[in-house]
Amino acid sequence: MSKNTALVTASAVLGVLLIALGIYYWVEPAGSLPSWLPGYTAGSSHHHVKHGIAAFLVGVACLVFAWFRSAPKKKDSEQA
Amino acid sequence: MISYGQAIVLGLVQGVAELFPISSLGQSVVLPRLLGWNIHQNDPYFITFLVATHLATALVLLGFFWADWVRIVKGIGRSLRDRGIDPEDRDAKLGWLLVVGTIPAGILGLLLESKLRAVFASAQSAAFFLIVNGLMLYGAELLRRRAPAPDTGDADRRVAEGVGWRQAASIGAAQALALIPGLSRSGATMGGGLLVGLSNEDAARFAFLLATPIIGAAAVLKLPELLGAQGNGVRGQALAGALCAAVTAYFSVRFLMRYFETKRLTPFAVFCFVEGIVLSLYFGFS
Repeated sequence: MSKNTALVTASAVLGVLLIALGIYYWVEPAGSLPSWLPGYTAGSSHHHVKHGIAAFLVGVACLVFAWFRSAPKKKDSEQA
Repeated sequence: MISYGQAIVLGLVQGVAELFPISSLGQSVVLPRLLGWNIHQNDPYFITFLVATHLATALVLLGFFWADWVRIVKGIGRSLRDRGIDPEDRDAKLGWLLVVGTIPAGILGLLLESKLRAVFASAQSAAFFLIVNGLMLYGAELLRRRAPAPDTGDADRRVAEGVGWRQAASIGAAQALALIPGLSRSGATMGGGLLVGLSNEDAARFAFLLATPIIGAAAVLKLPELLGAQGNGVRGQALAGALCAAVTAYFSVRFLMRYFETKRLTPFAVFCFVEGIVLSLYFGFS
């Protein structure tokens, strides 16, 4: 696996995970989050909407990065 | 609760201070204290009121640069379609620079806003950071003198060619400084633009373009509070304040885009420094 392929795969996987995490923050109250996640508060019914937005946006950014990095390289004749 | 008179005064000040590099949040903290108004920055109704004035400012900025935003969004669309940024496509490059600059500011804002608001809520603290803001602007002004003179031609091309990805992220992240009352978002971004070698005019343009999504998003995010129960009793005042903010924001951005064609940040630096010193002394002895 080339370095670029690894980077694209890692970005895409990370992007999907972060988007899922963002949705998870929106759906689950702070008290139901795993204790290792930022924002966990025992017994809290508050939803961390902002945490969700932050995770979602970074996830989208990762996917966009993967989209650009995975573009087929243009040949010299096309670039000219 | 805010009266209509207070709403009009705060709206007028907000529209100016949001775009002039003199910290709108700082002014909105010190002004009520200075005038003896019983308004505190962390009062829920005041935050709701600020949402409306910020939204108005963002809409004015969006309208002022509407033609630019249409080109920029089309450029982003082209780059996504082509899966790459054509070196000749200045709109696409500028668009992605704005995206890269907005993400760190947005994340820092989302995560730190409440904490910083709680820690730096006092008028004394805002007065101190106004002094810091003055020094920051003056430092940027010193650096501006070493910056290359602006070329003739298209400002967007100069920004697209002069600003790199990391620099855009740094300038964008500097916007988060504005979460501290007394430090100016536009001052931080203009200073950041000067640091990477932009002219004053180009740095101001980049700062205003960067400001639109972040101010707009921050306001939209809190819009439910204005429309919900928290907005009861303050919506009329918020509307009055928003209209006043829109008027002064429009004239401010018009003035500043002309001003920075030839002039410098020094007057704003002196204003903030002197205001901060005077207010610190006043709050300290009163």
